[in-house]
Parts: sequence; structure tokens; C-alpha cells
Amino acid sequence: MNKDKALEDLFLAQQPHFDDNDAFMASLQKRLDAVEYIKQHQEAAIRHYKLTMVLAFVVGLISGGVAMAYVLFMPASVPLFTFRVQTGFFGWLAENSRLIVVTALSLLMSFGLISIVKNVLEIVHMRRRLV
Amino acid sequence: MTRQDFIANVEREQEALRGFLLALCCGNKDEADDLAQDALVKAYLSSAGYQEKGRFRSWLFKIAHSTFLNHKASCRTTESLDEARTLVSSTSADASFAHQDLYLALRTLPPKERSAITLFYLNGYSIKEIATITDTSEDAVKKQLSRGRDQLKEKLKL
Repeated sequence: MNKDKALEDLFLAQQPHFDDNDAFMASLQKRLDAVEYIKQHQEAAIRHYKLTMVLAFVVGLISGGVAMAYVLFMPASVPLFTFRVQTGFFGWLAENSRLIVVTALSLLMSFGLISIVKNVLEIVHMRRRLV
Repeated sequence: MTRQDFIANVEREQEALRGFLLALCCGNKDEADDLAQDALVKAYLSSAGYQEKGRFRSWLFKIAHSTFLNHKASCRTTESLDEARTLVSSTSADASFAHQDLYLALRTLPPKERSAITLFYLNGYSIKEIATITDTSEDAVKKQLSRGRDQLKEKLKL
């Protein structure tokens, strides 16, 4: 497509000139400083969040392991919990108390691990968006 | 790209960018400068992924163009009021406003046509480059240029 000469001349004759370039750049530098500050703040928050997650992971793993070891090393003949009523379902619960507690602990630890892994992935995603 | 590199490139291109946005904003300098600053902050935030070596200006214009369109879309409801206000101010105080006729004519064009016309006539981009900057096809750019040119010539009585 060819340029319309009259229009081109009009646009070229009316090229704007700015005499406040320094003020514009100073204002931009201020905005970039603010952006940098927010970025640093977000990065620090992400670091803090990541550390908390790692700490929760380690504490959860250790306390879960200790609780499991405690349950498994208890004498098999002694139930972990008993009920006043010893018949039917309650009797079965008391008999299998070790198994029930270990299963509940395993489930709790699994859920904890899954949610921590999800959070860590979210942190990685947030970091990618920041860079 | 480091901040220093970014600033050095912006210092070189800022006049062209501001001129482009000034034309898109039909002579409203405050609005154009605000949009230029917003676009430059966006560009800075995505400058880590900047790969188009040697085409910094086109890359900036692309960001500025989308910033302008978003801005237009977000303030469409108050636009007619603002335009009326701008028209009043430009007729009363702009004896020294050399570009008034051109800006008034540009104001009658839809934003996309205004962008295409400005990039073509003010910044000297080719149709292919305009298509890249505005994220449209070359045929669409040709239509925008043709419609925009006819409308401008009619308004400016060229």
C-alpha cells in the first residue's frame, strides 16, 4: 500500500518534540524504584513462606515418625484406648486400636505432605511469575 | 536485560514512544505520559523475557498499544464526557496547539484505526510490522489504513 503524500507530510510536519524528557525519566525511575521495592518485598515473603513450609515438613515428618514409633513399640497386649462398653463395635475398636491409630496417623501425614508439596509448587509458580 | 540496559534503551526511544501515544490520545499529553509510564513499567517487568534483539522500539510499541487499548476499554463509559471536556479545553486554550486539527481528526477514528494510521504515517512502520505490533493480520491492517486514510482526508479536507 502506498503512502498518501499529503497525510505523510502532515504527520511529519507535526512530529511532537518534548522538552521534559528529564522529568519523564525521573518519574519513570521513581516508578521503577517502587516496582523494585514491591518485588523485593514479595521475594522476601516467598522466601519466608518457603522456609515455613520446609520447617512444617520436617517437624511433621519427625513428630509423625515419633508418634508412629511410640504406637508400634507399645506392648501388643495393651490396647491404646478402651471403652466402658466392651461389646460389639467398641470391643472391636479397642482390639484393633494400634492399627486404627497407625492408619489415622499415616493418613494425617499423607494429607500434610500433599498440602506442603502443593504449597511448594505454588511458591515455585509465584517465583516464576516474579522473574 | 539489566535495569541499566533498560533505562539506556528507554532514554533512546522515549520520544518516539511518547509521540506515538500522544497521537493515540489525540493530543492529551497527561494521559499519553501516564500511559507511557504504565507501558514502560510493564515492559520493565517483562524485560527478563525480552528476546527480540535490536527491535526494542517495536517491542515497546507493542506493549504501549495494548496498554492504550486496555485503557480505552476500561474507560469507555466516561470517554464521551472526557472527550467533551478535552474539546472545550483545546478550543479555548490552544492557540499554540499546532497539532490541533490533526488530533481532532484522529479523535474521530476508532482506536485500532488510529493506531494503524499513527504507526504508518508518524512512525514509518511497514504493514507487516504494524500487523506484528497490533497483533492483527496484514489484511486487517490494510483495511484499517484505507478506512482511516479516507476518513482523515475527509475531515482534514486534504
